[in-house]
Amino acid sequence: MIRFLGIFRLLKIAKKSAFRMNFIVCIKQVPDVSAPVSIRDGHLQTDSDRMVLNAYDASAVEEALVLTEKHGGRVDVVLIGPEKAKETIRKALAMGAEAGFHIPVEDGAGYDSAGYAAILAAFLKTHSYDAILTGKQSQDTDSGLAGGMLADRLGLPYAANAVGLELEGNALLVKRQGDTAQEMVLVPLPGVVTCSNDMNNPRIPSLKGIMASKKKEVTTVSPAELGLDAAALKPATVVTGYRNVPARNPGKKFEADAEELARTLVGLLQNEAKVI
Amino acid sequence: MFLSPDHELIRETARDFALQRVAPGVRERDEAEAFPHDLIPELADMGFLGIYHPTEYGGAGYDTLAFCLVIEEIARWDASLALTIASHTSLGSGHIALAGTHEQKERWLTPLAQGKVLAGWGLTEAGSGSDASGMKTTAVRDGAGWVLNGSKMFITQGSVGGVFVILAVTDRSKGAKGVTAFVVEAGTPGFSHGPKFHKLGMNSSDTRELRFEDVRIPDANRLGDLGMGFVDTMKVLDGGRIGIAALGVGLIRGALEESVSYAKQRSQFGSPIGDFQAIRFKMSDMDMWMEAGRALTHRAAQLKDAGRPHTREASIAKLYTSEHATKAALEAIQIHGGYGYTKEYHPERFLRDAKLLEIGEGTSEVQRMVIGKKLMG
Ligand SMILES: Cc1cc2nc3c(=O)[nH]c(=O)nc-3n(C[C@H](O)[C@H](O)[C@H](O)COP(=O)(O)OP(=O)(O)OC[C@H]3O[C@@H](n4cnc5c(N)ncnc54)[C@H](O)[C@@H]3O)c2cc1C
Repeated sequence: MIRFLGIFRLLKIAKKSAFRMNFIVCIKQVPDVSAPVSIRDGHLQTDSDRMVLNAYDASAVEEALVLTEKHGGRVDVVLIGPEKAKETIRKALAMGAEAGFHIPVEDGAGYDSAGYAAILAAFLKTHSYDAILTGKQSQDTDSGLAGGMLADRLGLPYAANAVGLELEGNALLVKRQGDTAQEMVLVPLPGVVTCSNDMNNPRIPSLKGIMASKKKEVTTVSPAELGLDAAALKPATVVTGYRNVPARNPGKKFEADAEELARTLVGLLQNEAKVI
Repeated sequence: MFLSPDHELIRETARDFALQRVAPGVRERDEAEAFPHDLIPELADMGFLGIYHPTEYGGAGYDTLAFCLVIEEIARWDASLALTIASHTSLGSGHIALAGTHEQKERWLTPLAQGKVLAGWGLTEAGSGSDASGMKTTAVRDGAGWVLNGSKMFITQGSVGGVFVILAVTDRSKGAKGVTAFVVEAGTPGFSHGPKFHKLGMNSSDTRELRFEDVRIPDANRLGDLGMGFVDTMKVLDGGRIGIAALGVGLIRGALEESVSYAKQRSQFGSPIGDFQAIRFKMSDMDMWMEAGRALTHRAAQLKDAGRPHTREASIAKLYTSEHATKAALEAIQIHGGYGYTKEYHPERFLRDAKLLEIGEGTSEVQRMVIGKKLMG
């Protein structure tokens, strides 16, 4: 059970301090969801090997960059994934993040959200930060669990699905979108916020940014160095397979004059649907 | 051939930019023959107007391969804009990068590569196209400077450019060895441009005639050694043709991607038209042309980046991709049926834009002459 710690209704804090925020953004590399995907024999088949930065995480990186550009501070990113996933760290560095941390795991290691949260928590205990941001979910699995589980493991206040972020004193003012109104939540720091892609339009790195990212440091931290026991990370949940949603039977179409149509319809509702 | 992580990132970046910023409004710009003035500062911010020029001179410091990736991604949606970028980078700016002194590069290449100013390049004249050595524009010594007279035809960026490289005859008796390049800035007295040409395609790229009436410029505007203009021009064109080749790859990809998505959603005789072998085979051919064209283009780019001879390879890449871009656009129209014949869909524009690639920077006939000369010596 996830504990939602320390979430306060907004009490307007008038005083704004010159607080320089250090963000760490947890990012993930995911298959390009715009590429065609099919299911064969219960397995997912992706046509393209294009891997991209999870769009929700991209929004988290963008928001952290905007806030540090406004108030000062720095943005680091951390990623769990195979060697190839380092490209995605480069992308975040090209956007403007200052340093990257790569926690290498084998491709298809099969962790579930709890596994990722456990690794991230172990890493973050060795790192200093004011706020942890991440996407509200990842585009590939859409579980939306890791952020909350991470907050729980670290015992930090947590707000999910932010559409806006502001620095209020030394807390984060999180905007959450409802059907008709916005909810403002004040999250004291350090804290964890997961971000919606409705939050912003993540910047596209410029060639200058890509060039600069080459000189930025990417530190590798292995799960073993974090004192993690591989067996303890084994997923408690198992994906047993994939299947296509059965296609819906097409509806019936009738063409006739109004009187005839009405008669047919009443007949069907009485005899087939048996609702009248 | 695999792309390095850097090049992958550049491609992804250019793809995102093209999709978000270039694709919207492309049909409207074509229809209105409108130059996209508002996109230029964005391209500059992205570093796309000086991709392979050195950072020392305001460029992004990448290479011709990176340039090809960006041109392909832009041309996938808007070949006119890709032509603007390619000609600006490889012809006008490219000539200054090739032949300019340090002072000249600081003065002109820097603002060009930063994208603050656009470049034009004037070789073609009304009476001399494929045979550029027949040019009539002259530059005559006048004390410490030069006086230019004549005109140039079909010059890209003719009215939107700020810096132009102009080829002119400095010694008629020496033929091709009597041609020299000069930098002429927009606004120089006596330098003007004609009205907009209404073209078949490439409609939002600016094409004008340039006129020179007693245009006085100092010797500091002379680019390269006296009589070397033509020799440098051939090198500039080798680079330029790689850009046109990348443009062709982008157009083939556009034709293919539009066709595949249309063939999936258009149904006739009870099934998507993409299920018919006749349609599928057309798309398979387009896919092959795209891959082959890209391989040729990237190879020419890598040779250029390695400082190795690439005249033949650049010509082959340009010839192959430009002719196949036209073919692919025609096939895309066929796959779209009557809808493909309307301006509501992209393929008709692809066709009109692609045809230019078989003409600009040396016609297909000229490319075959270049390749043939390499074969026969
Ligand atoms: C949109 C556009 C943009 C352009 N931008 C620029 C620019 O920025 N700068 C610039 O300098 N120029 C530019 N050009 C000019 C372009 O490079 C020329 O149009 C091209 O080189 C062909 O020259 P031409 O039009 O005079 O045709 P011609 O040379 O008259 O050719 C007519 C036909 O004869 C063929 N032909 C010619 N000689 C031979 C031969 N020996 N053997 C066989 N066939 C032959 C040609 O292939 C062609 O089919 C542009 C043109 C266009 C349309």
